[in-house]
Amino acid sequence: MIAAVIILAALLAIVNMIRKRALELKYALAWIIVLILVLIVDLVPAILNVISYGFGIATPVNTLFLLAFCFSILLIFILTVTVSRLSDRIRQLSQAVALNEARIEQLARELAEREGQK
Amino acid sequence: MERSVKSLVIIPAYNEEKSIDRTVEDIRRNAPDFDFVVVNDCSSDQTLGICLEKGYPVLNLPVNLGIGGAVQTGYRYARQNGYEVAVQFDGDGQHDAAYLDAMRDKLLTQKLDMVIGSRFLEKEGFQSSGIRRLGIRYFTRLIRILTGTVITDPTSGMRMAGKTVIAEFADNYPKDYPEPESVVRILRQGCKVQEYPVKMRRRTEGTSSISPGRSIYYMVKVTLAIFMEMLRRQ
Repeated sequence: MIAAVIILAALLAIVNMIRKRALELKYALAWIIVLILVLIVDLVPAILNVISYGFGIATPVNTLFLLAFCFSILLIFILTVTVSRLSDRIRQLSQAVALNEARIEQLARELAEREGQK
Repeated sequence: MERSVKSLVIIPAYNEEKSIDRTVEDIRRNAPDFDFVVVNDCSSDQTLGICLEKGYPVLNLPVNLGIGGAVQTGYRYARQNGYEVAVQFDGDGQHDAAYLDAMRDKLLTQKLDMVIGSRFLEKEGFQSSGIRRLGIRYFTRLIRILTGTVITDPTSGMRMAGKTVIAEFADNYPKDYPEPESVVRILRQGCKVQEYPVKMRRRTEGTSSISPGRSIYYMVKVTLAIFMEMLRRQ
């Protein structure tokens, strides 16, 4: 019961953050899905027993730990990929800004010279 | 020789307020038919102010990208403005512009794609500290085993590129500790790379981007990067 309330509160918090645009739906989606899955497992614990039996895990709670661990590792890895992509984009953007700034200055100088000649 | 060849000196500068003037003076006096551009890598000192005040052409990066990103900005500028020769030249006073003409002669007459200024061909001038030399020798050996080419100074930051390499570096350039890795890359693409003996000075201002504590990271990172380069399709 308490667990379900906490999960629902977390879901509400996430939805609220998306509403306020503090969190992008695209990146929050994984969390929403996981929270819903946890909620389902909380309401129907028998699911955990079935999975444990399937994997040959004696204590069902260990299945929970295993899944939680796998999910965390996967999420961290995805974040690393995202960071790599973002840093590459920042590099390209910064270089473009520097090159454009120099170009603008050069054009402004040429324009001033042309104005001066008139 | 050929005055008509459009040539650019790329000066990456991060907090070089004390030496940028001297570097530019050196280029103006000793390599007068080279254009130059300072790439200010978001310095926190007066580097940009000095460049603007003196009217040096400058590419001003809005965020700090590190040496790789800064040098690549210079290569992009070279490509955008149709330069046929571009040379990286440190803004900290280590390099000597008196060699630029001879390096370009070599590049053009022997139809090379890159000429690297090497401290170790004639073993003159500042030879770097002992432990660092050991690391450099290790990379020389690694590159020779993997590509068959002997590069005595693979970490040299004084490198002159022709049009092919300018275009390649404008598109692909490593972010940190870029020198050995990028040499392997262009060697694998069949580019002709040779060295020219130069003397370098001990830096007078600023600190090396490779502090002693980071040297192990440097060795591991660059070695891995070179192996990754071997795995890439050309």
